[in-house]
Amino acid sequence: MNANDKAPLSVVVFGGTSAIAQAIVRAAARERSVRVLLLGRNVQRLQSVKNDLAARGLSAEFQCADLSDSTVPWESLLRAAMPGKIDLFLVAHGELPEQEPILNDPAWLARTLQVNFVSAAVIATVCARMLEQQGGGSLAVIGSVAADRGRASNFVYGSAKAGLETFLEGMRHRLAKIPNIRITTIKPGLTDTPMTADMPKGPLFSSAEKVGTLSWEAIKKGVPVAYVPGWWWMILTIVRWLPRKIFYRTKL
Amino acid sequence: MRVVEFQSWGRVQAVRSPCLELSWLDQSVFIAPEAKRLAYGLGRSYGDSCLLSGGVMIRTRGLNKLIHFDRESGLLRAEAGVTLSEILELVVPEGWFLSTSPGTRFVTLAGAIANDIHGKNHHVAGAIGCHVRKFSLLRSNGSRLECSPAQNEPLFAATIGGLGLTGLILWAEIQLVRTPSAWLEVELVPFTGVKEFMSLTEESAKGWEHTVAWFDAAARGKNFARGIYIRGNFTADGLAGKEPRKIHPQPRLSVPMTMPSCTLNSWSVKAFNALYFHRVPRSGRKLLQHYEPFFYPLDAVDGWSKIYGKRGFFQYQSVTPEAAGVQPLEEMARAISASGEASFLAVLKTFGPRTSPGLLSFPKAGITLALDFPNRGQTTLRLFDRLDAIVRAAKGRLYPAKDSRMSAEDFRNGYPGLQEFLPQVDPAFCSDFWKRVAPA
Repeated sequence: MNANDKAPLSVVVFGGTSAIAQAIVRAAARERSVRVLLLGRNVQRLQSVKNDLAARGLSAEFQCADLSDSTVPWESLLRAAMPGKIDLFLVAHGELPEQEPILNDPAWLARTLQVNFVSAAVIATVCARMLEQQGGGSLAVIGSVAADRGRASNFVYGSAKAGLETFLEGMRHRLAKIPNIRITTIKPGLTDTPMTADMPKGPLFSSAEKVGTLSWEAIKKGVPVAYVPGWWWMILTIVRWLPRKIFYRTKL
Repeated sequence: MRVVEFQSWGRVQAVRSPCLELSWLDQSVFIAPEAKRLAYGLGRSYGDSCLLSGGVMIRTRGLNKLIHFDRESGLLRAEAGVTLSEILELVVPEGWFLSTSPGTRFVTLAGAIANDIHGKNHHVAGAIGCHVRKFSLLRSNGSRLECSPAQNEPLFAATIGGLGLTGLILWAEIQLVRTPSAWLEVELVPFTGVKEFMSLTEESAKGWEHTVAWFDAAARGKNFARGIYIRGNFTADGLAGKEPRKIHPQPRLSVPMTMPSCTLNSWSVKAFNALYFHRVPRSGRKLLQHYEPFFYPLDAVDGWSKIYGKRGFFQYQSVTPEAAGVQPLEEMARAISASGEASFLAVLKTFGPRTSPGLLSFPKAGITLALDFPNRGQTTLRLFDRLDAIVRAAKGRLYPAKDSRMSAEDFRNGYPGLQEFLPQVDPAFCSDFWKRVAPA
């Protein structure tokens, strides 16, 4: 992505109320002018994000849509709402319910997998097709460090994100020959956002602002897989390589 | 609801309370109607006015969105948990600044209003309540009330400086001021004795917008009541080589852990105070300063209050009215230097006549003195009793945002607006401070 471009950066955000997505957009707007289209479910919240971005001098619009509905004609919807080239597709929607209750509720389990994996993969595919048609641009999708190893406390969400990350790796492989297309998997660690409001906060938590700024750097450089902050890679490498005998005794 | 430990800035006491996090204005607040509750922003109040034991603490930091910023008129509307720091990042590049600012930018907008904070320009600008145009208040019965001088005026006046007891502020609209740049021309003038301080105050009242004095409350003998008078004005001159609308940097240093309680003792404090005093030549010093070191010198060190150790520290901030003159200050300084308690960073400032709409607003025309003391238990508290007597005799009052010990009687006598305030209190809101001082 050329940071010196004069034209505003056009961004589409799936999950427009995501705190990390907002922070990424704000980080981009510190460097250049940005116009953004927010997609999501809750009109009032989209409106409040739009107001916030507008007060910061960005041009923002929003559109209500059910992101988990795979029958939505995304491409025509986007073409109508945001004509012209789209520089960055940001897929940021997701749900992180508490693990125990989902395991006892098959419908909720299915929904969690559907939202975090299926709907994100469907949308990423539409975005990738549009990037191909444009002959360039960026797609950034929020994965998670939880995808790296199934852990008793969080494997439903983690496995959905793992599926999504594998899907994206395949998509990167498929489009590797097209030089101007960049697909970035952003893997945040513990982040202080409304999604984690009910979790006890410790020193491993990063602010949404910091995660957003680091993610924007990764997107700009076109890094394929970015742990944010970067030191999560170290932690997850250790977690991945822990022998089962030891791993099963931990409370991760 | 998860149970979380909350502390205030003085770190003397902590409470463990169920915590509700607010992130969106449309979020439902489900709290049992009989449960007491209190909003908590960044916990920069020093004592117990921001803490509630045996009730629900509502964290508002997640309400962090801007709602509208009019770059022409300088009106800014933002959610409760937006910090003054975030506001500055947005408005300074556009040529605006906060109408008044406390000594830290790490407070939330709603917290600033609930404590009716004041700053170095109080003698001309008044407290922040003078610049609040409107806010929305969520009451425990679920109603959301817009309050302004024209609408729900009694609640407007009660909520400014109302310590979070009238409900939960959801968003607020404030008036900003234009500044010629982000830089100030600053003068530092050493003084000895309260009378010299007063003549500097008089001399600076007209030409200087921001004035404050650092004061060595531990010095004795010929150094008694020495200090440095600090005055500044925003300026457009002499900025060659500077970025005129530069915003503050993020804190570079932090106190990683609670230091041993003996770090600040009477020796180290005396040494620090002497060094601080002598860094300015007797003839004074002039300099150009960015707003960050001028207004927020301590913000450069994240979590500085941990330097006071596990037992924490008290701040004692009083205001004594103009009519009482300088005598109470001299008496307080004598009581402190006789007690041997070490006060680090004492601050003197004259308040002007501009009154805030806030019924429980702390500032009033007179002299305010803020003193920090490491918590050494009974000996520290005994000194406070002596200071209380001096403040009481002078018909002064203490600042609830800094307090964790004032008596109900001193509160009632210090705040004549209390009777008018009481009917506006939301019965479900409470704080540990309020439990102590509320009229029975």
